[in-house]
Amino acid sequence: MSSTENIYLPKVVQLDRVVDEIHEVRTFVWHFEDPADQAAFKKFRPGQFAQVSIFGAGEFPASLPPSPTENEMFFTIRTVGGCTAALHRLQPGDRFAVRGPYGNGFPMDDYAGKNLVFVAGGIGLIPLRSCIVYALAHRERYERIQIYYGAKTPRELMYLPNLRAWEQAAGIECQLTVDRASDGWTGNVGVVGSLFKRPGVHVPVENTVAFVCGPPVMFRFVIRDLLDMGFREDQIMSTLERYMKCGVGKCGHCCIGVAYVCVDGPVFTYEQIKKLGEDI
Amino acid sequence: MRARVIGEADVLRLVDLLRQDRQVIAPFCGRGRDSYFDVVTDVNRDRIRLHVPNPLYPPKRYVLPHIERLMRMRRSAAGLWNFQPDYAETPLALFGVRSCDVAGVRHLDRFYLGREYVDAYYERRRRNLFVVNMVCTDPEVDIDDNCFCVCADTGPAARDAFDLQLMDLGGGEYLAVAGTAAGEDLFSAPFFRPATAAHVERRRAILTEVRGRFRSTTSWFAATVRYISRGDVLDKTWEEIGNRCLECGACTFVCPACTCFTVSDRRTGKEEYERVRMWDSCALKGFTRMAGGFNPRRAVHDRRNRRFFRKLAHYFIQRELSMACVGCGRCAAVCHGDVGMPSVVEMIRRATAIAAPPLDESSTVPSAKVTA
Repeated sequence: MSSTENIYLPKVVQLDRVVDEIHEVRTFVWHFEDPADQAAFKKFRPGQFAQVSIFGAGEFPASLPPSPTENEMFFTIRTVGGCTAALHRLQPGDRFAVRGPYGNGFPMDDYAGKNLVFVAGGIGLIPLRSCIVYALAHRERYERIQIYYGAKTPRELMYLPNLRAWEQAAGIECQLTVDRASDGWTGNVGVVGSLFKRPGVHVPVENTVAFVCGPPVMFRFVIRDLLDMGFREDQIMSTLERYMKCGVGKCGHCCIGVAYVCVDGPVFTYEQIKKLGEDI
Repeated sequence: MRARVIGEADVLRLVDLLRQDRQVIAPFCGRGRDSYFDVVTDVNRDRIRLHVPNPLYPPKRYVLPHIERLMRMRRSAAGLWNFQPDYAETPLALFGVRSCDVAGVRHLDRFYLGREYVDAYYERRRRNLFVVNMVCTDPEVDIDDNCFCVCADTGPAARDAFDLQLMDLGGGEYLAVAGTAAGEDLFSAPFFRPATAAHVERRRAILTEVRGRFRSTTSWFAATVRYISRGDVLDKTWEEIGNRCLECGACTFVCPACTCFTVSDRRTGKEEYERVRMWDSCALKGFTRMAGGFNPRRAVHDRRNRRFFRKLAHYFIQRELSMACVGCGRCAAVCHGDVGMPSVVEMIRRATAIAAPPLDESSTVPSAKVTA
């Protein structure tokens, strides 16, 4: 009798190095012990996620911030609970385990020929980083690419080297803002939506896809701003996070409305999110 | 036709035949109304009951155990981590399960084996499982006030998902119908006699009689499915349902069609852990609470809304080809707040019928045009 592949079995990975991002948030660079696993995993799409096992602590879902066009695999994780704290205690060389990739991801190929507008707040940049890097790696496929990113303070800007590079790069518009200036910040001060009103900023609405990800308050206000600009609800994309145990549509924890976030999402249009009927 | 007749004494012979190459689980009676499923042994085999009050703990646990080890995770002396999945491959027969529970297994089949991911643990248990369905025919013992399989369209006689179906024809005779090739193989045993047209006619007559013996409980799903699927149910109704929920989770734990589980790791030795999964319940507050404390489902009525939406929404019925309710009545029997499925269906139907907007044009039957 043929044996079904066990979807719950993770693969062992090795932690290569740890990068401090912001307070309580670190990036963990890792690789699969088995190169064949690495090659299979790297076929993921931007916006997908993985289940991360820390021995003795448990398993949790995590966004995949790298783009499949990059070589290194990594997670960027905030310590919020027991499992993430256990991950933060790991040292380079330590092992943990990963299975995936799961979820629908962003249909980046369908967006060819469109303008891409990325709007992120705080650690909401983590899942969108994958799309941004992917889009820049295939720059010729897309029209205008804009990035609007805000954090509470300059110290809480994620992926600072990437942000600086995007600010300098030709062919993309990258605007940053902070809620409270400090540390000699000379840029914009205000919520993310305030960037749209800056002189010289023009967000195209026609033929555009907007990616929005951030804390609930930021999400609500940005959605309102985009709708006011004339965006249709199905032009606005976001990615949801939920408590998950399996990642494959079985455990039931992430079921909202007619969707299992793990298999039907985590990427949804705002039109879909509204119908799911739960808090973001 | 794949039907045979056996005598009363042959029923135990059938059990023994199954026991030759598998463990057999059958219903037994305790004191009073108490009934339960247990492993058949030489000691208890004479006490197997074919007509039995519905055991509250459903036989679901033989395909989806209450607690199940998924894998062991060990670190070898060389420092390498190794995962050892823990599969149950013991051949098992569920003997004497009622039709609602057979429908429950069928629903779990579609959920765990359907769509893009197959659950390897469920799959192995299921393919080692032989199901002997017992049709509920005794209105005094088999059927109680909470039963509503006739409304869920799952009983009193299961139509599929069994290997063998037994039905008490009275007069010490049982009709055996094979549902699979494995079930038909048993007919080579000498005690199976050919069934006659008269036996089949008695089966039909008994089923007609039994359908009329279901008592007070009815569950008119059709209207409720429509109201829930269209989002017509008022918040007030969900709040009323939520107010009566004691958040004990019993309805989910006794439900043959509930599928949710949680996963937990525990230490079993130095650098050795096991990963187990156990039933979980959407009635419990922590079910959707994320690390950091954010909980997208806040109030209890929000959680009740999700449970009944998940079970009855048209979208999921299409996906799994059946409602996630088999009409066993266990939730109604265990719920202290009286918000088991039949009550909820009735509360929704009554409250929404008054408040619901008229059907939109596309869903009404076009009436003949009256011309002057």
